[in-house]
Amino acid sequence: MIVPYGNVLLLAVILFLMGAACAVARRNLLMILIGVEIMLNAAGLAFVAASLKWQGMDGQVFVLFIFAVAASEVAVGLALIVYSQRRTGSMNADDYNRMRG
Amino acid sequence: MTLYAVIFYVLAIVALASTLLAILQRQVVHAIVYLILSFLATALLFYLLGAPFLAVLEVIIYAGAIMVLFLFVVMTVRAEPVRGTRRETFRQWLPAIVLGIVSLCVGGILIAQVPGSKIGLTVGMATPTAFGRYLFKSYWLPVEIVSFLLLIGLVGALYLGRQETKPAEEKGENHP
Amino acid sequence: MKTILFLLLFFPFAGGLLLALIGRYLPRRVAEGVGCLSILASLLMAALAFGTAGEKRYLLTLFEWIQVGDFSASMSVYYDPLAALMALMVTFVSSLIHLYSVSFMREDQDYVRYFCYMNLFVFSMLVITLADNLVFLYLGWEGVGFCSYILIGFWYSDVVNATAGRKAFILTRIGDVALGVAVALFFLLLDQFSIFAINSKASSLTAGTATLLGLLLFWGAVGKSAQLPLVVWLPDAMAGPTPVSALIHAATMVTAGAYLLMRLFPVIVLSPAVMLTIATVAVLTGLFSALAALAQKDIKRILAYSTISQVSYMFLGVGAGDVAGGVAHLVSHAFFKALLFLGAGCVIQALHEEHDIFKMGNLRQRLPLIFWLFLAGAVSLGAIPPFGGFFSKDRILLSTFNHPGLAYKTLALIGEVGAVITVFYTFRMFFVAFLPRPSAPQGFERKDLKISGFMQWINLPLAILAVFAAALDFPEAFGGNAWLSHYLASIPGATAPFPVSAVFERSVEIGSGLLNVAVLVVAYFIYRPEGGFLGWPSPAALRENLEELFFHGFYLDRLYQIALVRPYQKMAEILWSKVDEGGVDHFFEDMGAVFRLSSSGLQQWATGRLSTYLKMLLLGFTAMVSVLALGWYYLR
Repeated sequence: MIVPYGNVLLLAVILFLMGAACAVARRNLLMILIGVEIMLNAAGLAFVAASLKWQGMDGQVFVLFIFAVAASEVAVGLALIVYSQRRTGSMNADDYNRMRG
Repeated sequence: MTLYAVIFYVLAIVALASTLLAILQRQVVHAIVYLILSFLATALLFYLLGAPFLAVLEVIIYAGAIMVLFLFVVMTVRAEPVRGTRRETFRQWLPAIVLGIVSLCVGGILIAQVPGSKIGLTVGMATPTAFGRYLFKSYWLPVEIVSFLLLIGLVGALYLGRQETKPAEEKGENHP
Repeated sequence: MKTILFLLLFFPFAGGLLLALIGRYLPRRVAEGVGCLSILASLLMAALAFGTAGEKRYLLTLFEWIQVGDFSASMSVYYDPLAALMALMVTFVSSLIHLYSVSFMREDQDYVRYFCYMNLFVFSMLVITLADNLVFLYLGWEGVGFCSYILIGFWYSDVVNATAGRKAFILTRIGDVALGVAVALFFLLLDQFSIFAINSKASSLTAGTATLLGLLLFWGAVGKSAQLPLVVWLPDAMAGPTPVSALIHAATMVTAGAYLLMRLFPVIVLSPAVMLTIATVAVLTGLFSALAALAQKDIKRILAYSTISQVSYMFLGVGAGDVAGGVAHLVSHAFFKALLFLGAGCVIQALHEEHDIFKMGNLRQRLPLIFWLFLAGAVSLGAIPPFGGFFSKDRILLSTFNHPGLAYKTLALIGEVGAVITVFYTFRMFFVAFLPRPSAPQGFERKDLKISGFMQWINLPLAILAVFAAALDFPEAFGGNAWLSHYLASIPGATAPFPVSAVFERSVEIGSGLLNVAVLVVAYFIYRPEGGFLGWPSPAALRENLEELFFHGFYLDRLYQIALVRPYQKMAEILWSKVDEGGVDHFFEDMGAVFRLSSSGLQQWATGRLSTYLKMLLLGFTAMVSVLALGWYYLR
């Protein structure tokens, strides 16, 4: 017996919310992406805990897929950030407000 | 309080602390470093929770590739961190903190309600062999799709990241 | 017979409809032809019906119009001698006026509208003439009111004309309300809309009910026929084209009121109070308008006031119980008044739209034919024996005098005074306008407009009829055969209820005839060319004030303006600015403002900034989770 299942979930929740807070509160584009990464990671933790609880490997498989998706998403996201930094010269999310209205 | 529980709580504290420090940093590089530490702790947690293969993958992919990628971009971009006043920072963080605390309380209540959350997790281990077999037996299609996704990501990143040799007007997509 | 009557009504309606729909695309002559031919065809039908009917009466249903449960309003006609005569007169005079209009309106580009509405007017008038069903009659009643509004205000680009049309419409409307109430009451009391049935059942009404109904009908007639107090629209209605004045305000519409009373005479005769009211109002109106005509300068206004006066004689006939006398005067009045108006139209056009009689003069040389025709009309109007209007007017006055009661005798005397004044103003008009004046040009002036012979000669039939209208009802006391009285003997009220001795009748007629001639001579002396005297023979100050008073129609119009029109306009203005614009519009603007404000409030959320949207995402997530928790908590 390691820990009660709920505790692991609670840990995952706290990590997730911290990632959300980072994404919401920071202005730097890179920090926002980092917040997204934290959130993905926390979700993966929850999946692994669930996999152990139900004694099946499906949760772990899913975590694998999360890794893959996160990797490609980060790649494209960073490419976008680099591109838009070259176009506008700003890394501040507040400067990208042409969709205002 | 078994040994496993102790290890769990220590790792949990490390992960929490390092994540917290990561999100509060001014400098992006510092944040990334703290985050690497957090990912390492998470990888050990994975090992504890019976997923050694994933633990290794976490270190290699997440902490290794993704965070390094971040660092590369930080180096390429070379933007100066913007210094805001204390009041502005507080106004930025306030909604996130409030909402976070509310969600935490609600989430905690929810978790506490579920009967299954009191059950202790038994020790188990998914060996890489067994994991691999299981993956390619039942989930071969998602694997193929994910590989396709990675290819697309690759192509996309290449296209977006190329240096501009042509005039700017000819690029019509993805204006910020 | 049914076909003939149907066609009688159908032709003018079809003509009007045709002109309304495709009149614009027809060549001018064709459109005018349609307009005139429809009335002529109608005349043919009327003559046919008159010929075949003889003394028979017909009650025919032409078309089942409204049929709802117990309520049935069909387009039915009641063709008795009165209706026959009236229809013949209306179609005859209308045809002549339509032909005259072709020439009169030759310069006007709006002829399609003109002929269309003239046709519709004749249709409506014929409906009034023939209708048996009161709802059908009301249709015609409203129709003539509407068409007269359009035709009076025909040249609407001048706001004076449009105002005159509107005034006519509003004032006749006030009368129409009473008629509508009366129609409804008839249905309520007698369960009938049919005039024939009502007349048969009339004796079942109590005196009080009959009085009420009589007064309502009378008020409706007062509006349409321009008697006191709804009189002020008729002088202003001269703003319309002269043929319109001839048709509407001489021969047809203004007589519709008297005609209505004649048709429903059995109801009215039940109430002596109503009869006396009718007679009194008629006499007062007659005197009022005769005095007013005395001071007018515009030839058409003189004729307008004279119309009011003559129609009041018809009402007096009804009030005295002598319907046949009223009819006789109606018919002869139609002829000579139409003649006078059309003649005046010729004069006005020839003299380049000059209406003031004091600026005319010496028309014997300038327009010789009109001179004689107008003279014919004037002697008929002035009741110079043995011409036109003399016998009919005298017959009415005699019937009034013979009616028991001191009131009637007084009224008869006042009526006689009115008749005398009629002679005076008629010949004032004639002598001033037509005889040579020192200031007027001698002979045919180059600047006079040459008007077509057609326009002048068309008046000849009217002149003949006007002069010889006396032959219609030559009283037996003088050896005549009184054809009209015999023809109308079958309709209620035809015979004078109180017969007189032939001697009395003869002496009265001779006396009044001589009196009329004497007044004519006096008028000649005052207004003769060498006299040069264009005013009144009385002390100067009195003359001026009286003249002003009469000229303005006793300031009745001004009284209405101040007492009724201005307060109403003020109230309408307040309602418009405060309630309509202030209240209703404001309400809708505020409602719009709510949307605008809420939209601009919401707009603040659309910042276009990533952080805002991420905040919103987190907020949404929190909300969902909270709801989930709450739900779970409560469902447990």
